[in-house]
Amino acid sequence: MIELDGVTLTYDGASAPVLRDVDLHVPEGELALVVGRTGSGKTSLLRLVNGLVPHFSGGRLRGRVRVDGRDTAVHRPRDLADVVGLVGQDPLAGFVTDNVEDELAYGMESLGLPGDVMRKRVEETLDLLGLAELRGRPLTDLSGGQQQRVAIGAVLTTHPRVLVLDEPTSALDPLAAEEVLAVLQRLVHDLGLTVLLAEHRLERVAQYADRVILVPGDGSVVSGTPAEVLATSPIAPPVVELGRVAGWHPLPLTVRDARRRAPALRERLTTADLPDRRTTSGGVVAQTTDLTVTYGRVNALRGVSTRLARGEVVALMGRNGAGKSTLLRALVGMRRPTSGRVEVIGTAPADLRAGDLLRHVGLVPQVPGDLLYTSSVGDECAEADRDAQVPAGTTRALFDRLSPGVPDERHPRDLSEGQRLTLALAVVLAARPPLVLLDEPTRGLDYTAKHRLVEILRDLVAEGHGVLLATHDVELVAEVATRVLVIADGEVVADGPTVDVVVSSPAFAPQVAKVLAPAPWLTPTEVAVALAGSEVPR
Amino acid sequence: MTPLVPLRLRSSLALGAAFVVGIVAFGWPFVVQPGAALDTSHSGDSPLVFVVVLPLLAAVVLSELTSGSLDAKAVAMLGMLAAVGAALRALGPGTAGLEPSFAVILLGGRVFGRGFGFVLGAVTLFAGALLTGGVGPWLPFQMVAAGWVGFFAGCLPRGRGRLEVLVLAGYAFVVGLAYGLVMNLWFWPFASYGPEVSYVAGGSLVTNLHHYLVFYVTTSLPWDLGRAVLSAVVVLVAGLPLLRALRRAARRAAFDATAVFE
Amino acid sequence: MRPQHFPHHPRHLHPGAWWLWAVGLAAAAGRTQNPVPLLLALAVTGFVVGARRSTAPWARSYTAFLRLALLLIAVRVLFQVLLSASAEGPTVLFTLPSLALPATSGLKLGGAVTLEALLQATYEGLQLAVILCCVGAANALGSARRLLRYVPAALYEIGVACVIALTFAPQLVTDAARVRQAHRLRGHRGRGLRGLRRLAMPVVEGALERSVELAAAMDSRGYGRTTGDPLTRRRTGLLVLAGLLGLCVGVYGLLDVTTSAWLGAPMLLLGALVAVTGVVAGRRGHTGRSRYRPDPWALPEWAVTLSGVAAAAGAALDAHLHPALLVLASPTAVPPVPLLACAGILLAALPAVLAPPPPDSATPAARDAASPLGVAA
Repeated sequence: MIELDGVTLTYDGASAPVLRDVDLHVPEGELALVVGRTGSGKTSLLRLVNGLVPHFSGGRLRGRVRVDGRDTAVHRPRDLADVVGLVGQDPLAGFVTDNVEDELAYGMESLGLPGDVMRKRVEETLDLLGLAELRGRPLTDLSGGQQQRVAIGAVLTTHPRVLVLDEPTSALDPLAAEEVLAVLQRLVHDLGLTVLLAEHRLERVAQYADRVILVPGDGSVVSGTPAEVLATSPIAPPVVELGRVAGWHPLPLTVRDARRRAPALRERLTTADLPDRRTTSGGVVAQTTDLTVTYGRVNALRGVSTRLARGEVVALMGRNGAGKSTLLRALVGMRRPTSGRVEVIGTAPADLRAGDLLRHVGLVPQVPGDLLYTSSVGDECAEADRDAQVPAGTTRALFDRLSPGVPDERHPRDLSEGQRLTLALAVVLAARPPLVLLDEPTRGLDYTAKHRLVEILRDLVAEGHGVLLATHDVELVAEVATRVLVIADGEVVADGPTVDVVVSSPAFAPQVAKVLAPAPWLTPTEVAVALAGSEVPR
Repeated sequence: MTPLVPLRLRSSLALGAAFVVGIVAFGWPFVVQPGAALDTSHSGDSPLVFVVVLPLLAAVVLSELTSGSLDAKAVAMLGMLAAVGAALRALGPGTAGLEPSFAVILLGGRVFGRGFGFVLGAVTLFAGALLTGGVGPWLPFQMVAAGWVGFFAGCLPRGRGRLEVLVLAGYAFVVGLAYGLVMNLWFWPFASYGPEVSYVAGGSLVTNLHHYLVFYVTTSLPWDLGRAVLSAVVVLVAGLPLLRALRRAARRAAFDATAVFE
Repeated sequence: MRPQHFPHHPRHLHPGAWWLWAVGLAAAAGRTQNPVPLLLALAVTGFVVGARRSTAPWARSYTAFLRLALLLIAVRVLFQVLLSASAEGPTVLFTLPSLALPATSGLKLGGAVTLEALLQATYEGLQLAVILCCVGAANALGSARRLLRYVPAALYEIGVACVIALTFAPQLVTDAARVRQAHRLRGHRGRGLRGLRRLAMPVVEGALERSVELAAAMDSRGYGRTTGDPLTRRRTGLLVLAGLLGLCVGVYGLLDVTTSAWLGAPMLLLGALVAVTGVVAGRRGHTGRSRYRPDPWALPEWAVTLSGVAAAAGAALDAHLHPALLVLASPTAVPPVPLLACAGILLAALPAVLAPPPPDSATPAARDAASPLGVAA
């Protein structure tokens, strides 16, 4: 169905080709998972299938790309619209109309299909994707998962044979991601579509994949069954890494597979030392007492009492709408408490002037780019120095430590997701606030950037900051958090050391914990260290 | 950068015709000879023909400029910039005569070319009217006038840096005043606020000009000064970064991108 | 008969019908300054809007237009009474202190306020106000947004650009609010011009980036699949050029005394129509696009349009037969009642019953629950 023969792709003005001599064949009806770091050429590979590269983006293509027999050199993206459907990361950025039904019909209108055919297909797609009750709604009223499903439906109505998705779940919370992935699974099984899916969070998708395509970043492409490719891939879900550590062959791809082989591992681990999870925490840096925040008639937070200390990383978890962002906003002073108290180093943040706020608490928002407004990294750092009233060059030095090798003239919007996050973090850290808040920092980050973030957070707590992370990412929590706060419906439901909260609860447990439950292991690294320790000869 | 909306022969002719008809549609009180068909001393209805003709002409011009020659990138850029302008119109006090969206229109015309500037002006005004729910017979006139704002911004002489921003700010000021001067012309002959300021059918050019200027100064000058000053200030303050952002976007969108197959 | 022909079957009326109705009513109002038919027309617009308005947000534009119309009358009265030295009648109501203005401008400031001047200004303002309310009614009933779906193929790209602008403008506003909150975190108060620039740049740059993403999505979904046939383009090009030439001739004819009447307004109109035909014919049949679920043009649409035409026709007939009834002899006289014009305007109130009610946007389950017997409507 998809054939790349000897494909070499070079963009205009680039010194080296992005893809070099790539041969790839994806047969019909498979779900192929494309894996690779940001900037490795994943997006280029996906857009080659559609014809967007090189027709839309420019560039030089040697070799041939064929989809369902059509050569993309001859067929432009608009000619391939009835064969390939492309869905991107941000569904709102691709919507051309303002309600669900018109959006589903748009693609068919462009193809000139007759009215009754369009009617029938819209109804089918609404049923297939579970969107029937949302039919006349404006698109901006929908949740993230619903919007992504509408985006998939909008490309499905032209009855394509290939579906290409570029990180469709990265902006979604776990529940919405599950919906979207289940829909994709159903499309492959019931409709026989060929699906090409790029994802960072492999733990969500690895079990569905029939084929894994690894793009290491040197221009080549490795393709094979998941067990083959993930065995040696530097990017792998925690379950696979656990399998490598435990020496299982073939490697398990799902938690279920791993649990079947776990008893032997559990045996070995009963005699091993548990990881040392004690952390030294310093003085209290923020405190809320019976904090209640009400928006009109909605109770966002009810009587939340908690304490944050230096030297610890607290993870704030809970459903969307449970009150996480409200708590963060209250800690930064953007929301005044309706009753109760919030204090950061003894003062209520809402009473602080804007200039003093920086020295008490800093928040990196969900979209780090919101904090940045100049046109070069150098200007941004200079502005941050001025805002924080620190000597010139402080922010730049901080940023170099966090993300080395970024030149001054680079535009902040040209940075990768991870670099933008670290730039925003550097701007926030310039004034050395003792409390640092991060809202969903791992959204859109690949594994390398996530590891970097984990190291940065560990350094921060070592230096004496207190960190509060609002996140859905259970693997991140397992790696770096010392304490977990779970909020549901505005109240604190659980507050304790990570191990205690996370191991017993299926919604928040990382893959390793699910495999080795009830033993308190959270990450493959812990297991590896424990096994190495227990095998040292007496 | 090649202009996004190229001006071919047909579209240039259409623009030229629109210019001529527009001038007559707005300026006929000053140039009509007594006894001609437009002379309202005989029948008061004939100038209304412009209310019908100008929208049709605007449709023809817009169609000639865009039909079949705008690809997805150009349409998306047009729509987005019009969204910025329309949002500014909807938020800002557009009814008081202030037009913060003029800055967007003239900067867009400057960066992307004259044809694009014309279309951007028309679409911004139209989208703004749809957003605020106020579509009326004045809309085609406003669209064409805003189109000219964008068009002439693209005709300004080349320059870079501070000089360009100063030239654009001056242009914004002039345009703010001229817009009011011209827009008031289309209903002035029918307004009767008193014989000292109304149109005298069959009167001399000097008399009518005098009456019009008095009318303008008493009814519209404060709003127009406000609009002119606001536009000029916006361009001065945000012009340089906006121009840089637009040019960067033009580079990244790769409007001239060519695909080479080997 | 198919259900769309029945006036009681709830659906959206074709917006073009509402606009034609409003134009007819406005044409009737434009013929006279007699307050009786004008006030009747105002009442008719209010009645029809109240009866057939939907719950969508743009339906509230009628009140905005009404307020604007009242403001217009007030400004008009103020200007006439305070500044104009003419139209003064014998009945003086009260006298304001007057200020001397230079004689060349021919204005006065203050002075005697007369009843005649007041009434004259009110009647003139009322005419414009009623026309404005007709436009407001058209906006509220036949939303211009829905009209965008019927853009002719020649203006397709403009239509798409408008839809994109309407879709993304509210998103930009939300983005701006979010960015402003984020900047407070950096210690900026967001005041003054620097604050505005700091707010504008991320929003504009985000919008520009999103436009490229949008273009990629549109391209992938088949935007611009069509090509034009060069022969047809040349033929229609000639039509367009001929139309433009006709326009220029018509303009010349309107201005010049020595040319015949046919060379003026009729030539202008003809030229415009020929050019439009050329443009429309050039694109039709070559776009390859179809339309999803267009609103039908059925009997209710005809009824609504014809009622508007009836209003315009009634006023035109009265202007022809009894012109004295449409003009007031003096402002203080009791206004006469022009029967034909008023009858036409009353006919224009029929869409309140003849047009189908807008559909209920509630889900079928909620509607079933609301119905007393739980039976589907």
